[in-house]
Amino acid sequence: MVLLVLAISSKRAVPRLSVAAYTTAATVQTALEAISRSNAHLNLFASHIAQNNIEAHSNTPCDGPLKGWPVAIKANIATSEQPTSCASRALQDYVSPYQSTAVEALARAGAVVVGKTNMDEFGMGSTNEYSIYGAARNPREPNTNSTNKQQYRHSPGGSSGGSAAAVAAGMCRVALGSDTGGSIRVPAAWCGVVGFKPSYGCISRHGLVAYASSLDAIGVLARTVDDVRTAFQAMSVPDSRDMTCMSERLRTRINVLSRSRKWINYISKDSSTHALPLTGIRVGIPHEFWVEELSQAALDSWRSGADKLAMLGCEIVPVSLPHIPDSLPAYYTLAFAESSSNLARFDGIRYGTRSSERPSTEKANASLKYANTRSEGLGKEVQRRILLGTYVMTASASEQYHVLSQKIRRIVQQEFNAVFALPNALLPHSTESIILTNRPSGVDALLFPTTTDTAPLLGSADLNPVSSYVSDIMTVPANLAGIPAISVPVGADGAGMPLGLQLVTQYGDDSLLLRIASHLQSHC
Amino acid sequence: MSSIRRFCLQPTAPVLNWKWRFCKYISSVTADNAQIRSVCSGAAVPTQNILDIPPGWKAAIGLELHVQLMAARKLFSLASAKWDDPPNTNVNLVDAGMPGSLPQLNPECIYLAARAIIGLNGIVQRRSSFDRKHYFYSDQPLGFQITQQRFPIGRGGSINLGRNEGLGYNRTIRIHQLQLEQDTAKSIHDVYPGYVLTDLNRAGVALIEIVSEPDIETAEEAALYVRKMQTLLRHIRVSHCNMEEGSMRCDVNVSVYRDGEGRLSGTRCELKNLNSLKVIRSAVKAEIQRQVEAIDGGNMIEQETRGFDARTGKTYLTRSKEDTPDYRYMPEPDVPEIHIADEWVEAVKAGLPELPEATLLRVVEQYGLAKEDVETMLAEPGCISLFEQAAKGRNAKHVAAWITSEVFGQLSYRAQKLQDSQLTAIQFCGLLDALYGRQITSAQAKQLLIEFMDGDKRGAEELIKEHEWKVMDDETALQDIVRKLLEEHPNEVAGYLKGQKRRLNFFVGKVMAATKGQARPQDVSRIVQKQLEKS
Repeated sequence: MVLLVLAISSKRAVPRLSVAAYTTAATVQTALEAISRSNAHLNLFASHIAQNNIEAHSNTPCDGPLKGWPVAIKANIATSEQPTSCASRALQDYVSPYQSTAVEALARAGAVVVGKTNMDEFGMGSTNEYSIYGAARNPREPNTNSTNKQQYRHSPGGSSGGSAAAVAAGMCRVALGSDTGGSIRVPAAWCGVVGFKPSYGCISRHGLVAYASSLDAIGVLARTVDDVRTAFQAMSVPDSRDMTCMSERLRTRINVLSRSRKWINYISKDSSTHALPLTGIRVGIPHEFWVEELSQAALDSWRSGADKLAMLGCEIVPVSLPHIPDSLPAYYTLAFAESSSNLARFDGIRYGTRSSERPSTEKANASLKYANTRSEGLGKEVQRRILLGTYVMTASASEQYHVLSQKIRRIVQQEFNAVFALPNALLPHSTESIILTNRPSGVDALLFPTTTDTAPLLGSADLNPVSSYVSDIMTVPANLAGIPAISVPVGADGAGMPLGLQLVTQYGDDSLLLRIASHLQSHC
Repeated sequence: MSSIRRFCLQPTAPVLNWKWRFCKYISSVTADNAQIRSVCSGAAVPTQNILDIPPGWKAAIGLELHVQLMAARKLFSLASAKWDDPPNTNVNLVDAGMPGSLPQLNPECIYLAARAIIGLNGIVQRRSSFDRKHYFYSDQPLGFQITQQRFPIGRGGSINLGRNEGLGYNRTIRIHQLQLEQDTAKSIHDVYPGYVLTDLNRAGVALIEIVSEPDIETAEEAALYVRKMQTLLRHIRVSHCNMEEGSMRCDVNVSVYRDGEGRLSGTRCELKNLNSLKVIRSAVKAEIQRQVEAIDGGNMIEQETRGFDARTGKTYLTRSKEDTPDYRYMPEPDVPEIHIADEWVEAVKAGLPELPEATLLRVVEQYGLAKEDVETMLAEPGCISLFEQAAKGRNAKHVAAWITSEVFGQLSYRAQKLQDSQLTAIQFCGLLDALYGRQITSAQAKQLLIEFMDGDKRGAEELIKEHEWKVMDDETALQDIVRKLLEEHPNEVAGYLKGQKRRLNFFVGKVMAATKGQARPQDVSRIVQKQLEKS
């Protein structure tokens, strides 16, 4: 059983987390117990249901694939029960009048929402420190530091830090996060869980409070790839309420196209008995991710991950994506620009926190009211990003920054299309009529580390915001290209802090990605 | 605290401008219109009697028309587009900018925009997309307007003005582009002092902005262009184009140049919110005058935005160039590109009614009517259709006369549109048949029309029977009544014979009363006259 395999890899886990939490899937009851035991120390939930009130919340007597699963929802995904605060003062007490499509789907499949998780405000951050709830804490601690029960000193990663850490701490079975530039995969790697960002448009964004609309994706965190897949399949459906959500027609086209690959064996789905279950699959190692910042532990995990895939039957080849280094500035330009636009609605007029300061002079006007409300409601990192995003869109700077970044984004997309054997289903030539009989040159998946290093100590990111942006180089390319990416836990560094490896496939090739990831996880 | 001030992302100027704009909408129904009326009739206004353009000068004028589409739902939400319902009742998640809500494009709006483009003889772009235009104001729930800046849905096309429109010469005004965009919410000032109220019903209602090339040269041409656009868009059922209600709004760009210099050598000023044809005429004239006087006086024209004060008949500065906000346009990431197939465009084209110009020519030719009458009927949506149904097998001139005098008279008395009235074509045909078949008098026919328009659903025949109306055709009976009356009123007879011809009407009235209106006045008049002459 995969869960047991995972337990072995986590054998050096911090003793204060019960062994049970690592060996059995959480139920609503055990999840709530874990929350009441540890949330005060870890600060992972913005709100959660009361333990004596489970019945009221599990009123979906359906026999769905997620029946009875305790799920945690990131605080920027709309639920009609608990506040959807985005960890911001601006939306502190805001309860959404509607439920997001993703949460609706989970509930229909039988899941029970146990709480809303801590995060970086509006998803802006990589360490889950920019939050009105205060920093979330990583339940994992180095082996040497297992005596002081109150001290969790490491960041869980961000922005979906609460979701990743809640999974790691057994406070839920799966958690929803959002990933704009790595916000699911980074915390998954640092907390030692699986974090999956699907292809752009797989899961409807209706109800996800937008950070950067063209990059945002709702995704899943769980202990195992199999749990991730179960939750993902429940949510990956067309939705007319999100025009960027994949239509039924596009999903069919992708399915037909990807299944026409004769070199991939789709017949024996349960290939665990097979000696080389991934035979025929070619995995690329893009050398551009071998960056200066990469730690020895991350490099070692990358090597051993590649070895394991080779042992499972994969062919490992080096590939090149020359514009990866440019993707970081392009990402931040586009994400900040879109965020300055998306967050313009938080003016305190129709909902949310409004400044109590009333302009009193004759000269007072609405702009001043906006300024007060937004300055009080939005945190410093959010303000920093809005101001930078506003600047890059001004008439004088737009050509130099915004337009250029869009060009870089297209180049990065083209480079990914060039390395994958499977054509991109969005390109006009890849119609249903194409049957891939002869194997084209190109790879089926890419493998590289999720982060350059293990979880940093809390408080270190704020010293230099630019260097904290730099660490996103490993994760932002998948968002720019809209392609699926998953972080799989692959053991730990010498001190026992977890690391993740990232697998990436062509747009729409999410099922192959999950299949490779599942095998990789069971052999790590 | 300094960071708080710094975080104001927009200068204050746009607020002033927008405030002005919506103040105007709300108060214009009463106060402003009265002023406009006085401007246009009164002699106190200096711009009235001057020439359109001072000699030696020419003007280059371009118009931006914002037109509300007749779509049942909003551009990006399923909420009803009825913006005049009770405040904040037609509001969907995205109309209020709720966190996590996303726009859903309404295909009906694309269809109506395409109709407008084809109606203008322009080209429906096979690929178009949306952009965000950013500014903060309480009538803008998202903090931006979704519009089409880079790739509008329509380009090209034109409006032709000439004798039909009352212009002594021909003028073609080319259309630069036609774009889809969202309307704003409505801000209501001064109802609660110190507060601005916001009605989100109008937020997100679909508009098309039609931008002309600066091909217009006079204020009169500008007004005629707007009128022709109204007629066209109403006829093809794209918009009500009602300037008073705000379903059509007009901004005008004006620049002047010395005859002989380059057409676009002048600096242009934008006149905002000229929301009636009369205001357009007066404001453009006044602005041309102002610019010419300024240049003659040795001053430069600054690129700026101006309003029009109907009381003084002058334009005034509302926003200088330095205060122009940076709208920070960016591609709308939540709405994919629109791709349109040729077959779809052909289908829209095929579904379009005959265009007004073609209808005018055809109806004048086919029915032998005066052009003025046809133009009058064309200006009233649905009227030509009523006419053509009624003219089938009937005297077209009679039908046209009845529509333009009696039916329009009733509509104007009721302040009603033909399309909102209760009158049906079948009722109208029955009325005409009874009248010209000499079953009823014209007075009775008018009474019948009133009953139809009051909402009586019954046909002409049934109502005539109920009223027991008939025409008194019995000549001898009429002669008897007349004879009796003449005997009863010898003084009046004597008066008539002495030359007081008005006495005739006295007798006709008496006879009509005696016959309960069932005699035909012409017949009565003839008989009375004959008998008076005899006596």
